[in-house]
Amino acid sequence: MVSKKKKKYSSGEGAQFMTRKAALKKLQLSLKDFRRICILKGIYPREPRNRKRAQKGAGGIKTLYHTKDIKFLLHEPILWKLRELKVYQQKIRKARAMREFRQMRKYLRDYPDINIDHIVKERYPTFVDALRDLDDCLTLCFLFSTFPSLKRVPRNQSLLCRRLTVEFMHAIIAAKALRKVFISVKGYYYQAELEGQTITWIVPHHFSFQPQSKDEVDFKIMSTFVEFYTMMLGFVNFKLYHSLNLVYPPKLTAAFSDTDKELVDEQAYVAERIAAMNIPVIKLEGANEVEELPEIDIFQSEGEDPQKLEEAKQEAEKVKKLKTMFKGLKFYINREVPREPLVFIIRCFGGEVSWDKDLFVGATFDESDESIAYQIVDRPNMDKQYLSRYYVQPQWVFDSVNTRTLLPISKYLMGAELPPHLSPFVDKTRDQVYKPPEERALLDPNFKPLNDDEDSGSEIEEASDEDEEGKDDSEVEDPEQALTKQYQQEVEEDSTSEDEDDDIDPEKKKLKKEKKKAMSVTTGVPHKEHPYQKEIEDKQAFRLREKLVRKKYRNLYKSMKAGQEKRKKEIWLLRKKRRLHDEKVKEAKKAEKHKKKIQAIEAASA
Amino acid sequence: MPEIKKKRHVSKKNKKDWRKHCDIRDVEDFLEDQRLEERLGKFDTKPDSELFVIDTLGKDEVKDEKDEITIKPRTAKERKRLLLSETPKCFQILLPTSKVEDPNAKRNHVNPIGAKPTALSKITDMKRLKKGVYEKKVAVARKNRKMALDKKKKTKQIRNTFELDLWGTDTPEAKGIPSTLCDEFVPPEAQLHNVLPERRLRPKPAPPKTVVNRAAVELPHPGVSYNPSFKEHQELLQEVVQHEQKMMKRETHLNRVTTGMFRKVTLQERENQWREEMSVGLPQPHNPANDQESESDSEYKPINPPVKNKKKDHKTRRRQKEMLAEKERLKRLKIEKKKITDLYKLRKLESSLSEVDKRQAKEREARALKRAVVEATALPALNAHKTPKQEPEYVDPDQLTGDLRQIKTKANLLRDRYESLQRRGALAAAKLMMKKKKKLKSYFKPGHKVTDQDVERYVNRTAGKK
Repeated sequence: MVSKKKKKYSSGEGAQFMTRKAALKKLQLSLKDFRRICILKGIYPREPRNRKRAQKGAGGIKTLYHTKDIKFLLHEPILWKLRELKVYQQKIRKARAMREFRQMRKYLRDYPDINIDHIVKERYPTFVDALRDLDDCLTLCFLFSTFPSLKRVPRNQSLLCRRLTVEFMHAIIAAKALRKVFISVKGYYYQAELEGQTITWIVPHHFSFQPQSKDEVDFKIMSTFVEFYTMMLGFVNFKLYHSLNLVYPPKLTAAFSDTDKELVDEQAYVAERIAAMNIPVIKLEGANEVEELPEIDIFQSEGEDPQKLEEAKQEAEKVKKLKTMFKGLKFYINREVPREPLVFIIRCFGGEVSWDKDLFVGATFDESDESIAYQIVDRPNMDKQYLSRYYVQPQWVFDSVNTRTLLPISKYLMGAELPPHLSPFVDKTRDQVYKPPEERALLDPNFKPLNDDEDSGSEIEEASDEDEEGKDDSEVEDPEQALTKQYQQEVEEDSTSEDEDDDIDPEKKKLKKEKKKAMSVTTGVPHKEHPYQKEIEDKQAFRLREKLVRKKYRNLYKSMKAGQEKRKKEIWLLRKKRRLHDEKVKEAKKAEKHKKKIQAIEAASA
Repeated sequence: MPEIKKKRHVSKKNKKDWRKHCDIRDVEDFLEDQRLEERLGKFDTKPDSELFVIDTLGKDEVKDEKDEITIKPRTAKERKRLLLSETPKCFQILLPTSKVEDPNAKRNHVNPIGAKPTALSKITDMKRLKKGVYEKKVAVARKNRKMALDKKKKTKQIRNTFELDLWGTDTPEAKGIPSTLCDEFVPPEAQLHNVLPERRLRPKPAPPKTVVNRAAVELPHPGVSYNPSFKEHQELLQEVVQHEQKMMKRETHLNRVTTGMFRKVTLQERENQWREEMSVGLPQPHNPANDQESESDSEYKPINPPVKNKKKDHKTRRRQKEMLAEKERLKRLKIEKKKITDLYKLRKLESSLSEVDKRQAKEREARALKRAVVEATALPALNAHKTPKQEPEYVDPDQLTGDLRQIKTKANLLRDRYESLQRRGALAAAKLMMKKKKKLKSYFKPGHKVTDQDVERYVNRTAGKK
């Protein structure tokens, strides 16, 4: 018997997808409601592999959804709520049209709220999931917190955003979770670490509100996103406060309550917001200080690289230091400096902040306080200066956080030309490039530039020697080969010189010898271990392991090694160039000085 | 004498057989009679006047009456109105099918819900209220109302205070109690009794990869710092320049391929062309110059003269054949020779083949790599509109003051967010259509007396608009 012919697109990709129109029909929703519920539930349009088939043969590009997604939506209880809302809106509309304003007001008062907390839970089953997705949420909430009431945005949304963001910042302060900061032209980038998740967000610079042109962004959609994100951020805040043993909701200021209806200008809002950040949050009764994270336990497993472990340990140490970087230091912020980011950062690392109490609310100590360690200033000079404190520019705070130590203030003093503000978000893997000493000094505060007076003499000699050698070689061979040879020689020299340095200092040797002479008892000869025996063995083992690289990967490995060597060589070459150049400049300076001296002597004698 | 049928013996073993072969007509008749009596009363006791009616009307008159009663045609609205009072068709099945009234009128009557309380019922209610029967009911009702209000309030409060540990362990959901039973009206025993596995019958499909994998906040280029190092800023500018060059190249290409492809003609030329094209086949005006030429050349010249079939002779045919044969032979010879030389060339051939293979493999790899990169960064096509590409941020060197107070920016963070959502595939790209304000035309009503003031006002208004 002939089976019934299968209809086209009843299975496979044609059945998997559904156009938006079909989805609307299936869900019995208007487009507006559908958009809203999709954003709330996290249902996104899909891109099919084969569009023609997915659209059931229709041309063009249609917005497609997974049929499964739509069926999933079909089970959402909020769908019924939306339909109820529709009826409710009709009632309001009717009351307005009939001019029954009392009834209308009653309807508006009792307007049913849609509860979406179960959706938050459904989309983020664990707290860590929610934290992982916090980037977008925070950026949007911070952005909306700067908005005045707009036409398509619910009027309490920006207020709610303002409250939630300040609460979140307090949580970050209490958890000391901030890691990196960066001032870009767009805004401040912050990176925090919560429960092992890195969260990055942008806070716009504080300008007065810039009018948004209407045809660029769909405000309705964005406000729906914000609606969900505020819900999510609220629950995240609650959880964070509870895990930090803090009382939620914190009592900050009156600025965030809906109750006071008086007209407050933007500036006052901002001032209160910053003042709120300067208040320590109330701890739960009987709660102890949050315990510090225990030190990393090291489990010696074979698979892990000891070097990596060491790095991780160092990183943890650095972070620990960073958390208490400003502890016990008092900062005073001058009035021309943008206060919000600075207060946030300084409080994050344990500092105390204050500002002019006449201009803004919330100042904790006066400018005349002698215990202030740093005053942050962004003007070329000041009339009245205290000797007991440093006057630094705001960038010092940001750079210090990024380098994780208190930077020397010499470059950041008032009126000084600032060094560039480098991004902390650079790729660490691209380390095999030449960096001039200035850059290295910026990145690594422990780096000692070469032009120290003590070292320079010997180095000059060495360099000249090398130059001569190089010249000799170049006469014989071509320059490329000569360079490689010289490089190898230098590397060897380096290693040997290190050996000697590390071995024992000559002074100590002398001391030992004297001691030996003083003592009459002859000592037994102890088993002397070669200090580099282990290293040598390691190297040999490494070579053996290298041989074990499978044939499949051998070429790759070889090319990787060759690349490393090449890059190293390039760096070495550029460093050498730089050194020679520096020396030349130095010598020229010296010669000039010498000349001047001679001239001066001559002038004196004459 | 009636013939007596011989009784056939039938089995009445089973209930079914028993029913089949048992005569119960007499019983049924009797019961029918009884019911009839119940309905109508006993015949014997009723007087004749109740049982019979004297027919006083003739046949014709009855007919007349019927004519008078005929119903007027009703409008649709009236028909609908009438239908309203009728029992709906769907409920007709619930009605008794028999036309016979309920003989037992004193059945237990229940007032339908919403029926007006009768005077009697009011009195009884009052009595019972005084007795204190309703007190408990009222109390329960009050409590329930309060509970509902509290619940409503609480949900509103959660929206403000977020007083709910969503990821905690003490919520009923965490204990495995389904959300449908998490209600204050459901006692805890019932909750625990009804603990169901809250397994999703229809699990949510995973979100698209672009949404999951692409970063929401992209890490900034080091050159966008408010006080960048020279090198990094130059790199950023370089990126911008390259991007701009690419765009320009593309634009010129598009220009060349579209507008540049078409020849440009002046208006006059176009007019001429049109005239020429339109007048094809029309009788041309007499041109004496043309005439003279044609007349001077009197000799007839066909456009395509006939072809002469010139036959080849034997000699040429033979030569042709020989030549072909020779050519073929040489070709064969060459092939044979090549076969021999190829034997010696085998290694070379092999190497060249392997080389081709290698090259192709390399190319394949590169192509795959490129495809992977494109796939990772491709913008999702979710709509007929194109998703805006990400452009490198341009920081004008003039804007860089190196001063926090004087930062100037052209960046629009909100648009950035919006486009980032589109680039991640969370939103379909869209072209926003703004509602246009209706342009109102103002004019003076005909017949309206236009004063100078009116004109002045009109002029002022139009000037103000501009």
